[in-house]
Amino acid sequence: MIATILQTTDLLETVVASLVAGVGVTTAFSTAIWGGTRFVDLSRGGRPLAAGAAAAVGALALALTLAAVVFGIVVMTSK
Amino acid sequence: MSSDVIMVIVVGTALAFDFTNGFHDTANVVATSISTGAARPQVAIGVASLLNFVGAFISISVAATVANDVVNAAVITPTIVFAGLIGAIAWNLITWWFGLPSSSSHALIGGVVGSAVAAVGFDAVLAEGLVGKVLIPAVVAPVVAFIVAGLGIGIAYRIVGRQRPGPVTRGFRYGQIVSGGLLALAHGTNDAQKTMGVITLALIANGTLAANADPPFWVIASAATAIALGTYFGGWRIIRTTGSRIIKMDAAQGFSAQGAGATVILASTHFGFPLSTTHVINGGVMGAGAAKRVSAVRWGVAGNIVVAWLLTLPAAAAIGAATYGLTRIFGTGALGPVLVTLMALGLVAVMFSKRSQQGAPVPAS
Repeated sequence: MIATILQTTDLLETVVASLVAGVGVTTAFSTAIWGGTRFVDLSRGGRPLAAGAAAAVGALALALTLAAVVFGIVVMTSK
Repeated sequence: MSSDVIMVIVVGTALAFDFTNGFHDTANVVATSISTGAARPQVAIGVASLLNFVGAFISISVAATVANDVVNAAVITPTIVFAGLIGAIAWNLITWWFGLPSSSSHALIGGVVGSAVAAVGFDAVLAEGLVGKVLIPAVVAPVVAFIVAGLGIGIAYRIVGRQRPGPVTRGFRYGQIVSGGLLALAHGTNDAQKTMGVITLALIANGTLAANADPPFWVIASAATAIALGTYFGGWRIIRTTGSRIIKMDAAQGFSAQGAGATVILASTHFGFPLSTTHVINGGVMGAGAAKRVSAVRWGVAGNIVVAWLLTLPAAAAIGAATYGLTRIFGTGALGPVLVTLMALGLVAVMFSKRSQQGAPVPAS
């Protein structure tokens, strides 16, 4: 009865989805910024291989961020 | 004929409420982007207005909750919905007058519940829906936003903390264009749906729609337009912003706070929880601030939000109940709602006139 009133499953899913999406997107985007910043610094320092690796990590993280945003909107509009 | 007049008044009142909701909340939606320098005010307000409009079309789960899960639509009349709306608007005006924090969403639900109880008794209230879909999420959501923003900014600082601040700030400012847009989208979808739900409830009560019907397209489009216009015009009277009222933020904090607010509101909307978007956004802002320095947050604002949460539902319910009683003095026809509307408009005109003579009001959070 109490579980029904509290809509436990929906509420729990809301909390988990918010935590995963909110923290995940911020983490991914921060990594993208880290990759971009490191790429510039390492390129200037004459370390093209490390710069390329940082750029790759940054690009991957940026793609992950955008994918998460698109996925969130698709989930919203699918119900 | 009489019921048609009442329905026109109810729809007009609901859309006016929706407009004031957007007007009231613009600062909360755009303040973080403006205060961190991520967007110019004109751009932030224009984009927020557009995305509020778009957001209103992406879900109807919250509208279904308001229309079907809070009060028993079978015993509701359009006059009850009208009295509830007046209760919500009156409470918003009272809090605006005294500069107190408020929640338009809680006021709306409180007003409708109060007028329903006054008209039919406590049997009109669906306790399961009210507690499970409104009251509990209202407490949980701002806390989750606080935690999400706090954790997010903590991780962000660990990742970019040793990098040059210039590029990092620029990066997060670009990110805020997306997170601010998502927040506006989330605000539009949750808040506009409350108005859709109330209009749908009135249409069901009037026999225009079948029980458990979805909002018709004209209801969705009109609610979307009203909140978007309210957001656009509300932006031009921002006096003090959410960001600077609670804490001075950097771009990373702004991104984290907006991201937390948007994800919590969007996830809640998906499950049909009508939230106070203001409280969720402020929860995110405080979480992002507290993670950096606990003392930097103006905890008095948090206290005000708690007081607002405690006061708004019962106060709007009481005014909604009183309004229903006043309306019924003039019988069950359209005369009561017409006279109450005229009285309300007169009162609003007097309040705005007096306030304009006294100077600009402090906007409620």
